[in-house]
Amino acid sequence: MKLRLQITKDREIRFISHLEYLRTIERAIRRAKLPVAYSEGFNPHMKFSLASALGVGVVSYAEFVEIVMAEPVDPMEAASRLIKALPRGIRVVGVDAVDNSAPALMSVAGGAEYWVTIPYQADCQAAIKAFNETEKLTYAKPAPKSAAKVKEINVKFYIPHVDAVQTGGFLKLRFHCRITAQGSMKAVDLLNTLNQYYHLGLPVELADIERRDLYRVDDMGNMWPMLDSIYTKE
Amino acid sequence: MNKELTLDMLAGVEKPARYTGGEFGSIVKEEADVRIALAFPDVYEVGMSYLGYKILYHLVNKMEGIAAERVYAPWIDLEQKMRSRQVVLTTLETKRALSEMDLVGFTLQYELSYTNILNMLDLGGVTVKSAQRREEEPFVILGGPCIYNMEPLADFCDLALIGEGEEALPEILTCYRQWKEAGRLGGRRGFLEQAVKIKGVYVPSFYEAGYNPDGTLQETKPVYAGAPVLVEKRVVQDMDTVDFPTAPIVPFEEIIHDRIMLEVFRGCTRGCRFCNAGMIYRPVRERKPAVLEKLARQLVDNTGYNEISLVSLSTADYCCLNSLLDNMILQFKDERVSVSLPSLRIDSFSVDVAKKVQAVRKSGLTFAPEAGSQRMRDVINKGVNEENLMEAVSGAFANGWRKVKLYFMIGLPGETDEDVVAIASLARKVLAQYKKITGKGGAEVTVSVSSFVPKPYTAFQWVPQNSLEELHKKQMLLKDNLKVKGIKYQYHEDHVSIIEGVFARGDRRLGAALYYAWQHGERFDGWQDCFNFDLWQEAFKAAGVQPEFFAARERGEEERFPWEHLSCGVNRAFLWREYQRSKVGQLTPDCRFNACTGCGVCQNLDVKIIEWEDEA
Repeated sequence: MKLRLQITKDREIRFISHLEYLRTIERAIRRAKLPVAYSEGFNPHMKFSLASALGVGVVSYAEFVEIVMAEPVDPMEAASRLIKALPRGIRVVGVDAVDNSAPALMSVAGGAEYWVTIPYQADCQAAIKAFNETEKLTYAKPAPKSAAKVKEINVKFYIPHVDAVQTGGFLKLRFHCRITAQGSMKAVDLLNTLNQYYHLGLPVELADIERRDLYRVDDMGNMWPMLDSIYTKE
Repeated sequence: MNKELTLDMLAGVEKPARYTGGEFGSIVKEEADVRIALAFPDVYEVGMSYLGYKILYHLVNKMEGIAAERVYAPWIDLEQKMRSRQVVLTTLETKRALSEMDLVGFTLQYELSYTNILNMLDLGGVTVKSAQRREEEPFVILGGPCIYNMEPLADFCDLALIGEGEEALPEILTCYRQWKEAGRLGGRRGFLEQAVKIKGVYVPSFYEAGYNPDGTLQETKPVYAGAPVLVEKRVVQDMDTVDFPTAPIVPFEEIIHDRIMLEVFRGCTRGCRFCNAGMIYRPVRERKPAVLEKLARQLVDNTGYNEISLVSLSTADYCCLNSLLDNMILQFKDERVSVSLPSLRIDSFSVDVAKKVQAVRKSGLTFAPEAGSQRMRDVINKGVNEENLMEAVSGAFANGWRKVKLYFMIGLPGETDEDVVAIASLARKVLAQYKKITGKGGAEVTVSVSSFVPKPYTAFQWVPQNSLEELHKKQMLLKDNLKVKGIKYQYHEDHVSIIEGVFARGDRRLGAALYYAWQHGERFDGWQDCFNFDLWQEAFKAAGVQPEFFAARERGEEERFPWEHLSCGVNRAFLWREYQRSKVGQLTPDCRFNACTGCGVCQNLDVKIIEWEDEA
């Protein structure tokens, strides 16, 4: 069986990287002494994965981890053992168990919802309206190591629509971002896109980005939760 | 006081998780009467790998009402932002500024981290020079392996702890609490007068250094009647009676030694003449195998790590290594926890042990012959020969290993060009041995060469360090002789070794140079991109000191040294005798397996060698 959990990456650990987050979960699983499966071979690794990578600095309330068990466990009992073994900043908010034959969580994630809060005074409603009405927008993302190389991102394919409100000196954005087998885009790059096309001058480094949800999308475009049965710890 | 590392500051730096804390196992005490910062003068991933602080952190936090908190040097990218926004350096636990702590402790691991100590104090809002510290400021306390010659740091610290901290640090903290509760009786000096009564505590301001007309030290003598003439190190009698942390912090970030570190014994009596650790940690005190197995069990359960490293200065010398390894491997196999050894001595290397600890992984093996020629190995009392090395590598090659790393030093006392070239010959022989054993090519031999730095409390404390020119010439000579396919040559930046050499055997007069260098931007000197040799030259000039005087001068038999009022228990006469024996290549055997060599530690400090041979 595969144990699936919805977990968080809270504010206090927002700056740990995806790799560090993975390693932290692996060690928590070991401390919880869950009967987890390992790969064969010279250098066996624990069979577990996350549904979707998250950028450094992004808070998330919807991370999904899938752990392959070597023997069946009671999902609730396993979750409560894991809760005790996790560091502050990672909470378990949902648990589910599926058959080993179920497709990997990573392959079923279809979209994510983000909330962004950023200090900003000037009016940007016109820019948001223009963004929403544009058919196509390409963001040329500079490659990490060389400024000469860029990666072209079809922004409107991933993020068709953005909701914006401005209150108390802050701009708040809400949007859904598509996830495909070929990839997705980072929430922060929406801000970079808005700056590039509409010259908003958003202070990107000050953006407080939260991933509020991660979900499956069916052929009809309907959204479904990642876990079938949800248990929520009060 | 601005303490907040804002989103944009952290978003714009390398590895921001270094600065945010909250790791599994970290201990946050909101309420405490006394707080000590365990400050490490390097970045998080280096400092978090230091076993000494793992021990002290848990030991102190076990004390009621006393909190130990961690702080590391911010990397230059964050420092820049902190300085431009006037954000103060805080601890990871309760985010208090260093200036809000009762004590700030620094460990001296390496001479090139001294500028970071000054920088961290300044960033933490603590007055850098101890004489100028205000009444309410924290006390700065130093410890660690370089403590025996902490004189270059005398201007910046209030007190120091000489030797092992397991018993002494709680005593100091208790003394501090009493002083604080008594209404800070007698002010800052009042506490220092109480603290200096504790064995192993050194208060530099209670001593004065006098110099001869030729610039050498006359003596360092107490100017306060309550301060001892000789401060002897603190030493734990029996390792099984002191606490070892079984629930250490498990960092988010990958640190340098990202595994369980289990200390199997302390001390080493092999007696290598260049080695400072081999002198200052004497005598050998082993933990019982049963104690180690119990600790290992708890450590695995509490951390979730999948590797246990059995650490010490020479783990292969542990009396019951084989049975300990067998038991541990058996116990943890199903949990996929492996057991590793940090390094292996050539003469005690066994393919069986290597196979056990490496399990199935055929990654490289590392050996340290230290010198290329037998003559040189005898000079340094390494006690191994070419045959040992060839046997070790043959065994390894026959069992599937292909990569070997060999550690050497250049610049050893009395070294000739032939001795240097012998390093290359030895590396070639190792390479050829692979072909002989396996019948094919493809071995990878890495020759890693560092420059020898004479250290206090070693047989070589009298010898001049090689000059930059000499070191450079030797490095190039070796390079020319190592242009061989299959051999990789790595050598250290020799400018760094020169500064290390100056501070290793320097005195109080270097404080001014250190201060100057820091004020002009030096920090992270151990990191090559940050190190500025020219600035150091300028600093020595400004301070009116000659670096060669400390590093490159042959010292006389009778010369007093700036570390001799602080004792690790090893007698000067023993070291001098060892120095004389080195000149004729005479070996001195290990006192664990042979007669007492008369170093003096057991007699001076009333301790003894502890081994558990019979327990196995």
